Amino acid sequence: MRISTLAFANLNRRKGKAMFLTVGIAIGVGTIVALLSLSNSIQEEIGAQLDRFGANIVIVPQSNSLALDYGGVSVPGVTFDEHELSNEDIEKIRQIPYHKRLSVIAPKVLSAAEVEGQQVLLAGVDFKNELKLRQWWRIRGRNPETEGDVLVGYEVARALSIIQPTEQSPQKGAQMGEHHSAEEQSQFKVVKGNLQIAGQPHSVAGVIGATGGPEDRMIFGELLHVQKLVNKVGQLNVIEVSALCKGCPVEEIVGQIRNKVPHAKVSAVQQAVKARTEMVARLTRFSAAVAVVVLIIGALMIFTTMMGSVVERTKEIGVLRAIGFRRTHIIKGLILEVATISAAGGFFGWASGLAASWIVLPYFSETGAGRELNPTLLLAAMFGAMLIGTLSSIYPAVRAARLDPSEAVRYI
Amino acid sequence: MAFISIENVGKTYNETELDSAVQVLVGISVEIEEGEFIALMGPSGSGKSTLLTTIGAMNRPSTGKILVDGIDVYGLSDERRADFRMEYLGFVFQQHHLMPYLTALENAMLPLATSRVPTREKRERAMVVLESVSLGNKASRLPNQLSGGEQGRLAIARALVNEPPLLLADEPTGTLDSKTGSEIMEVFIDLNRKGQTIFMVTHNQENAALADRVLQIRDGSLVGCCAPPETGRRLSAQTNHELQTVYMGRQRAVSEPAVGLDPA
Repeated sequence: MRISTLAFANLNRRKGKAMFLTVGIAIGVGTIVALLSLSNSIQEEIGAQLDRFGANIVIVPQSNSLALDYGGVSVPGVTFDEHELSNEDIEKIRQIPYHKRLSVIAPKVLSAAEVEGQQVLLAGVDFKNELKLRQWWRIRGRNPETEGDVLVGYEVARALSIIQPTEQSPQKGAQMGEHHSAEEQSQFKVVKGNLQIAGQPHSVAGVIGATGGPEDRMIFGELLHVQKLVNKVGQLNVIEVSALCKGCPVEEIVGQIRNKVPHAKVSAVQQAVKARTEMVARLTRFSAAVAVVVLIIGALMIFTTMMGSVVERTKEIGVLRAIGFRRTHIIKGLILEVATISAAGGFFGWASGLAASWIVLPYFSETGAGRELNPTLLLAAMFGAMLIGTLSSIYPAVRAARLDPSEAVRYI
Repeated sequence: MAFISIENVGKTYNETELDSAVQVLVGISVEIEEGEFIALMGPSGSGKSTLLTTIGAMNRPSTGKILVDGIDVYGLSDERRADFRMEYLGFVFQQHHLMPYLTALENAMLPLATSRVPTREKRERAMVVLESVSLGNKASRLPNQLSGGEQGRLAIARALVNEPPLLLADEPTGTLDSKTGSEIMEVFIDLNRKGQTIFMVTHNQENAALADRVLQIRDGSLVGCCAPPETGRRLSAQTNHELQTVYMGRQRAVSEPAVGLDPA
């Protein structure tokens, strides 16, 4: 016979109440666990989506020359005539410690070129990686396959009469930069298959649907071919990198690339990073707010139940005090009861919360990421539940212990 | 020096509020020797239970003091007073107040729950007291599986498991029929013969007549108090010496700060 024997016997005696409290705590913990699991999965999903859409690191030569707006992102230091980045730098970037997190490395050489009598910005790209990076491109035609194949931006295609609007969308103008409705821009057909670029014939593999970005006013060719065409063999102007940054700050990857390519200016695309961070922060704040509300409700429930229990057990506590139990013994017994219930509630809450999150995860996440048994979460759930349970029952326990035994035995 | 010395004890409830202040005990002084069996009688509301709980270290008197085995009971801190109750006192309540969810053995072991004695030893000690009240064969029964008399004897067993020098009983036969009440009184008499000091509140004249001394209380004052009998169930010199040795150990337990306990 110990105080713990008495506490467990009391729980066994009041099975209904103990069960009710356990279920209550389990619901609270389960809600929080489900919310955290879902929020974690959604964060991963959002992170992955944001990482897929465009680069979040831009590498340009060290230069103080004028800035160029590229891809809706300010890319300082890009000049068409500098040759400070080279094909070898790509290999160096692939050797950084976090190389596994580099999803896409898209090098580019940029140069103005004369196309059918007009000056157009010509970009040499590695199509395999570039198309991974520009997943929002809608190409009418096919992907480039040979070195003479090019992709033409929407505005250029209109200006050079490579495309014609379909019947539902009559052509109203053919000047670059002219505004067209989204409907017009999506309804066109390719009517011209060849182009003279820098005096050499090229095949139009496809036309990129209007994006509203700078690519509308560009022509894209195979990297090595364009490097030769514009006399920039082995030279690059920009390297765009898409890094998957869950669990690692993008700044760390930037630092590692900077170490490998010290002659280049490496920048995180703050817009993408901030958007991701902001989105994750909002989710985290929402989860935290709901968790706090649930915790408060749980704590109040435990508090109320324990207060009721103390009143109900006044006589019993009085007898224990009369036979020589100290106040600390009474508190210890009551806290032990609540801690036991809370630990059980924490465990069942963790299990049910995880099960609930797994069931609803497909409705929130395409990948179903986050379906994992996390022992840390189990420990946190049990410890958290015990902490809340204990804190909530301190006042009722102290009040019980402060019962004047002579007052208590008046009931006797 | 008497084993229990009650010196000019008075008790007023709500003493800070003049309108509702109730004086329950007035200048009570009495001395009780080791091994005495005292019966306290009086009408309802006369202050019997208040005096019992005051002697029982649960109800601080407004005036006067109570010394038990030389210890000023209310000079102790609250936690030390709990230790004192554990070491010195055994309570038998009118309604028995057994824990309905514990077996007879567990109920008897209850006062040992906070002790560091090994569980096996606690069990053995509880079995000994259960045997002493003829409940050895019913140790595994729950209180509701025992008769009224057996419940009363179990309450006595629980009060005795710590071998307290003083047994306090609040109308222990009050809710029992006369036959069962007699069973309980036989246990008390037997205990007293072995040297147990007993202070019993009762309404029952016959039960009171079994005591060494009967104290009469009325309106908070002792009005009739027979002197201790010259003969009767007095302790032998040897028993008295043995008890002294035990009590000295208890005094140390209550008076000296224990490791890890409130030193106050």
